[in-house]
Amino acid sequence: MLQQSSLLWVEKYRPKKIEDIIGNDEAKASFVEWLKNKRHTKKAVLLFGPPGTGKTTLVNAAAREFNFTIIEMNASDTRSEKAVNAVAKPATSYRALDAFSGDSNKTSGNMLFLDEVDGIAGNEDRGGVSAIIEIIEKSLVPLILAANDPDIDKLRPLKKDCMLIRFHQVRIPLIISLLQKICLLEHVKAEFEGLERIAQNCRGDVRSAINDLQNLSERNHTLTLQDTTLLSSRNRDISMDETLRQYFSAKSIAEVSSLLSYSSVEYDDFLLSVSDNLPRRYIDADELAKAYNYISIADVYRGRIGIENWHLLKYFFNELAQAAAVNPKSYKPFEFITPPIRIITLFWTKGKRTMLNAICSKIGSQCHVSVEVAKENIVPFVKMLLVKNRNHSLVAWFKFTPEEVDFITKLGRF
Amino acid sequence: MVIVLNPKAFKLPRVDKEKFITLIRYGLDYNRDAGTFSIKSYNNIEKAIETVSAILGDQVVFQQMCTRCGKSFSCSTCNYNELCTTKNLPFTCVCPQCLRDRKNFEEYLTKF
Repeated sequence: MLQQSSLLWVEKYRPKKIEDIIGNDEAKASFVEWLKNKRHTKKAVLLFGPPGTGKTTLVNAAAREFNFTIIEMNASDTRSEKAVNAVAKPATSYRALDAFSGDSNKTSGNMLFLDEVDGIAGNEDRGGVSAIIEIIEKSLVPLILAANDPDIDKLRPLKKDCMLIRFHQVRIPLIISLLQKICLLEHVKAEFEGLERIAQNCRGDVRSAINDLQNLSERNHTLTLQDTTLLSSRNRDISMDETLRQYFSAKSIAEVSSLLSYSSVEYDDFLLSVSDNLPRRYIDADELAKAYNYISIADVYRGRIGIENWHLLKYFFNELAQAAAVNPKSYKPFEFITPPIRIITLFWTKGKRTMLNAICSKIGSQCHVSVEVAKENIVPFVKMLLVKNRNHSLVAWFKFTPEEVDFITKLGRF
Repeated sequence: MVIVLNPKAFKLPRVDKEKFITLIRYGLDYNRDAGTFSIKSYNNIEKAIETVSAILGDQVVFQQMCTRCGKSFSCSTCNYNELCTTKNLPFTCVCPQCLRDRKNFEEYLTKF
């Protein structure tokens, strides 16, 4: 069980009731009105607005207050037609299991929540939007969609079937007010100007304001205007190269921690890049070993974070920060390897992997085995036979092209 | 001149059919009995206010209501006026006096 003290403040102080959500009172009222009375006119609602303005929090709080069971799909799930139909379709017609438990009068049934629908994109999510439209038409339960940008083309067909509710940036005085409350509850002695700076810097994003406050004040339980000087880098989309440069040249663990929380790099790519660049940063073998040790622990945390345990993120940052600060004095500027070697390798070998997969699927369909089994168990023998005789009867049986025969005979380790 | 409006009920001079439809499309509601407009939807609030300003021929602002003390105040008194993306719009806020007053804030917290 996680202790209260190790929780992210953004989770610890996530509003439980609708009235506790700051700002956007009109949006909250419209949503509640829709949930109570207007569902028969518009079956779905699309909440849209900048990040950190309370869209997801409102849905969760409303579900709690009106006793709905939330079935949620967000950006971390694949939202293809098949996946949406598999998860969302049953939810729109079946009653929640807890409805059959002793206190069935307590639950109002399911509520389907599709978060970040503007993130439905690419091949992985093919057919997702049309599946959602179909669900809206047939749904018997409240269907809620949330997006940051509702004006993108692919959401146009969705919009006409939904009631639209806009969320605006939360005003600076309201954010300061919330930060003051958190400081009081966390016993943080904060200068008003420091809180003011955080609130101004977050651009109406309450979540990032709370994260900033926790980052800057959790350790010493104080917050001064001076502490907030690092905040200027927020909203400046820091590239991988810039993040690596600042990461390796950092003079303290605190500096790296702040940098990582403001940068928007992909954590997996960043971890690989740091790992590739460490031998250039630390010439001394002991220092390098120490740094790799921290990186390996960071990697363990990254694995445990997965897509939902974000409360472990600070430990991930902490281990990465320790790796950068093994010996700050020994830093000398160097040329970075970016992107990570593994990604470069995957890029260069894409053609070869595609060819091998095509060969293996031909073998698989003839021998009734999977592509993986064909790759592991059959291709080595086919190679041996074809090296001896390029016109072996197997070539015709598997319907290999001359290019594929060439490829197999030259195949090395795979 | 700046005209201060109450978002819950404000009167406008008689407008033609097209303007009226535009106002309703931008999220205003019309109360036939009282002859007043109010804001029903905030999705196109900026456009609604622009249209109202054009009808009245003056800049339109909304009075702000402090969530702590309940008093009305104007956005022009706020220190963050320049940074605010919802300046002069009818949303909840905290007045500058309440924001600075720690004692007032602690009293406010005890209500919850």
